Amino acid sequence: MKRTISVTINGRRYEEDVEPRQLLPHFLREQIGLTGTHVGCVIGECGACTLLLDGKLVKSCLLFAVQADGKEITTIEGLAKNGALHPVQEAFVEKYGFQCGYCTPGMIMAAHALLQDNSDPSEEEIRRCLAGNLCMCTGYAQIIDSVKEAAKKIKS
Amino acid sequence: MAEKFIGKPTRSKEGPRHATGCGHFTDDIVLPGMLQAMILRSPHAHARIVGGDAQSALELPGVMTALIPSDIVAHTKPFKPGRYAAGLRKPIAEYATAVEKVRYMGEPVAAVAARDRGTAEDALELITIDYDALPAVVETADAMKPGSALLYEELESNIAWKGGLSYGDIDGAFKAADKIVKEHLKIHRYSSTPLEPFAIIADYDAASRKLTVWVNAQVPEVIYDALREALELEDIRVIIPDIGGGFGQKIHLIRKYVVIVSLLAIRSGRPVKWIEDRSEHMMAAGHSCAQEFEVEAGVKKDGTVLGLKFREIDDVGGTTSTLTIHFTNKLNNLVNTYKVQNIALEGWSVLTNKCPVIPNRGIGKPGMCYIWERAMDRIAEELGLSPIDVRRINLIRPEQMPYTTPSGNVYDSGDYPGLLETALEKIGYDKLREEQKRARASGRLLGLSVVIGVEPGGRNAARDIAIFPEMKESPGSGGVNGATIKLEKNGTIALYLGSPNCGQSHETTTAQVAADVLGIPPEKISISTPFDSDLAPWGVSAANSGNNFHLYDIGAVHGAATKLKEKILAIAAHILRANPADLRIEDGAVRAPGSPVKKITLAELGKIVYGNQAMLPKGAEAGLQATYYYTFPHAEPNMVPGPDRKVRAQFTFSAAAHAAVVEVDRETGKVHVLRYLIVGDNGTVIHPNVVNGQIYGSAAHGISVALGEGFVYNADGQLLTLTLTDYGKSSTEETPKVEIVHKPSPSPFTTLGQKAAGEGAAIPSPAAIASAVEDALKPLGVKVRDLPLSPERVWNLIQEARR
Amino acid sequence: MIPAGFEYFAPSSLKEAVELLSHYKDDVKILAGGQSLVPLMKLRLAKPKYVIDLNRVGDLNYIREAGGAVHIGALATHSEIERSEVVRRDCRLLAQTAATIADTQVRNRGTLGGSLAHADPAGDMPAAIFALDAEMKASGPSGERWIKAEDFFVGFLTSALEADEILTEIKLPVTRGEKSAYLKAAQRASGFAVVGVAVRLKLGANGVCDDIAIGVTGVTDKAYRAKNVERALKGARLEDDPIERAANRVVDGIDPLEDINGSKDYRAHLARVYTARAIKAALQS
Repeated sequence: MKRTISVTINGRRYEEDVEPRQLLPHFLREQIGLTGTHVGCVIGECGACTLLLDGKLVKSCLLFAVQADGKEITTIEGLAKNGALHPVQEAFVEKYGFQCGYCTPGMIMAAHALLQDNSDPSEEEIRRCLAGNLCMCTGYAQIIDSVKEAAKKIKS
Repeated sequence: MAEKFIGKPTRSKEGPRHATGCGHFTDDIVLPGMLQAMILRSPHAHARIVGGDAQSALELPGVMTALIPSDIVAHTKPFKPGRYAAGLRKPIAEYATAVEKVRYMGEPVAAVAARDRGTAEDALELITIDYDALPAVVETADAMKPGSALLYEELESNIAWKGGLSYGDIDGAFKAADKIVKEHLKIHRYSSTPLEPFAIIADYDAASRKLTVWVNAQVPEVIYDALREALELEDIRVIIPDIGGGFGQKIHLIRKYVVIVSLLAIRSGRPVKWIEDRSEHMMAAGHSCAQEFEVEAGVKKDGTVLGLKFREIDDVGGTTSTLTIHFTNKLNNLVNTYKVQNIALEGWSVLTNKCPVIPNRGIGKPGMCYIWERAMDRIAEELGLSPIDVRRINLIRPEQMPYTTPSGNVYDSGDYPGLLETALEKIGYDKLREEQKRARASGRLLGLSVVIGVEPGGRNAARDIAIFPEMKESPGSGGVNGATIKLEKNGTIALYLGSPNCGQSHETTTAQVAADVLGIPPEKISISTPFDSDLAPWGVSAANSGNNFHLYDIGAVHGAATKLKEKILAIAAHILRANPADLRIEDGAVRAPGSPVKKITLAELGKIVYGNQAMLPKGAEAGLQATYYYTFPHAEPNMVPGPDRKVRAQFTFSAAAHAAVVEVDRETGKVHVLRYLIVGDNGTVIHPNVVNGQIYGSAAHGISVALGEGFVYNADGQLLTLTLTDYGKSSTEETPKVEIVHKPSPSPFTTLGQKAAGEGAAIPSPAAIASAVEDALKPLGVKVRDLPLSPERVWNLIQEARR
Repeated sequence: MIPAGFEYFAPSSLKEAVELLSHYKDDVKILAGGQSLVPLMKLRLAKPKYVIDLNRVGDLNYIREAGGAVHIGALATHSEIERSEVVRRDCRLLAQTAATIADTQVRNRGTLGGSLAHADPAGDMPAAIFALDAEMKASGPSGERWIKAEDFFVGFLTSALEADEILTEIKLPVTRGEKSAYLKAAQRASGFAVVGVAVRLKLGANGVCDDIAIGVTGVTDKAYRAKNVERALKGARLEDDPIERAANRVVDGIDPLEDINGSKDYRAHLARVYTARAIKAALQS
């Protein structure tokens, strides 16, 4: 039986009917049409679906869409403003903090959450914060460089 | 050509779309009326299929069609044994699903398509497949025993292939040797687990009998052949959007699912999408091959290797369609960086009830490097020499380049001693040895290693003839791929690549090359995506595989851009009444130097060539478009093996020395990588960040493989590692920091001196870690032979040494 | 990957939640942070017909100190616990343990109550719960009852909660100023505990151990308290030799698990090593 939920996504409010078993990333991708939130695993081990729920970093694939009722969600599509990349996005582009791009949205959301909390993270803090986001391509080196670069950009 | 962009860190073309969540992945595509498919898989490792029924599933509201093995037999044909099945001694019919028997846990047996994915998953639970369970054959040692249960009765043995070949005079070399050094080594099953699982959409237009598939496949030809063979269709369009990681994983077994999903689309009359689950990927998308090596080296007292022979036992899993790939790939880096003249290899391909093996970040080459580098350490130990000196004395010298190896490979360029010496210097080898002495005195287990390996690039289709001269159907030879480039009406450039891209920044890199040829900045060059087989100028090398890109795609883009430039200059010369040789392209215009008035902008030129016949040279072709299909101009000698079996398995040879410093926790067996340094030669580096990214990524994978990621089966053939967690994939916290030093030796044979940069660091890194761990454990007398070096295995090695 | 269909309830009061649970108790799951339950449902290893989401019950997420104990609502997340000033001051071991759980996203969503009720033998929190002498409040149709740590974990994924009971609060005695550490041999990908040891101790004069409590997780089908190690060390001077001798007894009478992350022998060995290391780390804290 479907339920109606009201959810604010990237600043816009939606009222939608969802089946209880519908997972949040599928809701965002298929019903709202925001395909930047990716799915790469089953039990939440990859982090590709990472987004902000009421400002907190979460793996959306471990949430049902009904649980988002009344909440605010920020997805990767919510970062760039007026066509200008967010400093974290810009840093990932400049420092080649991506290869195939599949983990990138989740990785950027995690980096964004980290930098909101800690404007000058050490490499160890970066590695700890991103430990829930797997990347099979990069060996993480240029991702970590990107986060450091993003911290610089945000500060200046 | 002035190199304005090549070698520079130009802005990424792919980055902005990926960073904003606007990548174009297959699962992002929605077609009207599209159904969602799910695949039912075997819970058994080995069983006979005795019946099946999908009636209850079909009755579930929302279910549109279903397939069970009898449907597959009725409506499809088996695949032809392709090049990966070389060596198969009897034809084995392999369909898209299991039909008579299942031979590995997770083998597809049935499928369903429904209005939504949840319903499709519900329907799977309603399909019944009846099995008679058979004994599972899990270990190669058991599979080879007489009386073992047979995977394929018609082969009369689980040893599906045995063969070998020899170069030089191996017996003579062993007779002349002062010492024979022997070793027994093992590499386990792993994968590179791309983050995006298999993803397919099939759409069939029954009226015109045209099938369109969107698929994240690395090699379009495999998809083409599969659909032609299994569904007997002629008109096929393969569209390959952004691929969320490949590494070989998306080359071969994905064909089964393309056929299944296409058949669901044909039968339902609807477009059908299938997105693989992570667990499905782990159990059935393909694994690298577990390889076991009996190695013997005949050496002189000074460490010179006179001859090397090895027998390889490959655990190829439950199908015959990739029977020998890990063995045949040994020809690619058979002598590694060494000047040995005599070498013999023998391969056994053993069937087991495990996931089929597939190409995976170097297919077999990490194994070959492991053989050499472990042997070098063992030789040093047995002769009482330094492992560095043993490598030094055997390295091919830079003055010998280009160097022809005994098996016929032509190493284009390289300074292997230079790579080794630079690695020693940059890691601070001598100081580290001093530090190690102090560490050992205080009971710490500190180890260091320096190993070296080649990274071959550019596949030669004829390679396998060397091993299977009896091949009936020619596999082709050399390689071909194309590129098309066009001046648009507004003066911008459109570039159509002949290959899909799975994360190696093909758009960025090819734009740099075209930009330098044409004198137009990369941002004015638009690369057409996705790959579309109806439009792309693709050949056999249109493969995100074989480290092909740097050779065939760069060659094709360079060729097409050069052709276009000639055409632009010819037409501009006519319009400007100038000599083409006097013209150059600069700031968006063709200019005659010394004549400020004599110029025509590319936009003006675009308008003319597509719309103003009167201004064109009489009889000239209108438009400004060029297509170029590249073949490697230096593919001879040894492109096609003759009776001497000499063949160039690949055409370019990057190389790298890897240095590792590790510390082993004596109590727990955990290995900590303290430093990891790579001195690499990738020829001319077109884009430093792109090349570094490939090195970092492949190194991280090889190190993770060495330290514990991998597949584990139990004695019943049940896969226990169904998630990335159980599989042990490294996160930011376990992945060590890697230092990179470039020491390029440009290839004299390629367009720009470029060589491969892809899977490279995954090849020597398992050996580097093994060598460093053994060095750390030297005070305990431990020998490292088998991977992975998980904490428990290392702890066990320590316990055994104490006994 | 899509769970089997279910009916979803999001009660706004505990009373309502308990009533729903009593009514559907044979085929229901309680959803707190969902970091363990949702994976099981996606794999269809759990196929409840009814799911009761506690997240709309307003009064289950709190951390406060009162009457010599820290009271933590079942829905407090690992991140909240990790960062809580009250926890860091009054039962620091719980914050130390929370900081090691899984990853940022899971800590933001996973709850203390959920992880205890799930009773995963590799969960980190049960070890700390033993070492902190915590008690769990179960709320059911007939009221509330308190369950001690040693009675709470019954076996593999099984707690002492009745089918109609909800874990609502965790109460931990204030142990301000005591030394503590949580160390684990972490699984390489997920960081969960192959073996995890939580230690809390009080040092008296001359480095003599006045009190010590040790919780162990990952070793067997449920977390446990290493009483024989504690007994051996109480009143002893905490030097390397006695610590290691005592730690060697951590798996006496215990049947270690065997799985892809460790054989019986290796797990038992790790438990000994990590017990000694955790005691030493607590001393250094």
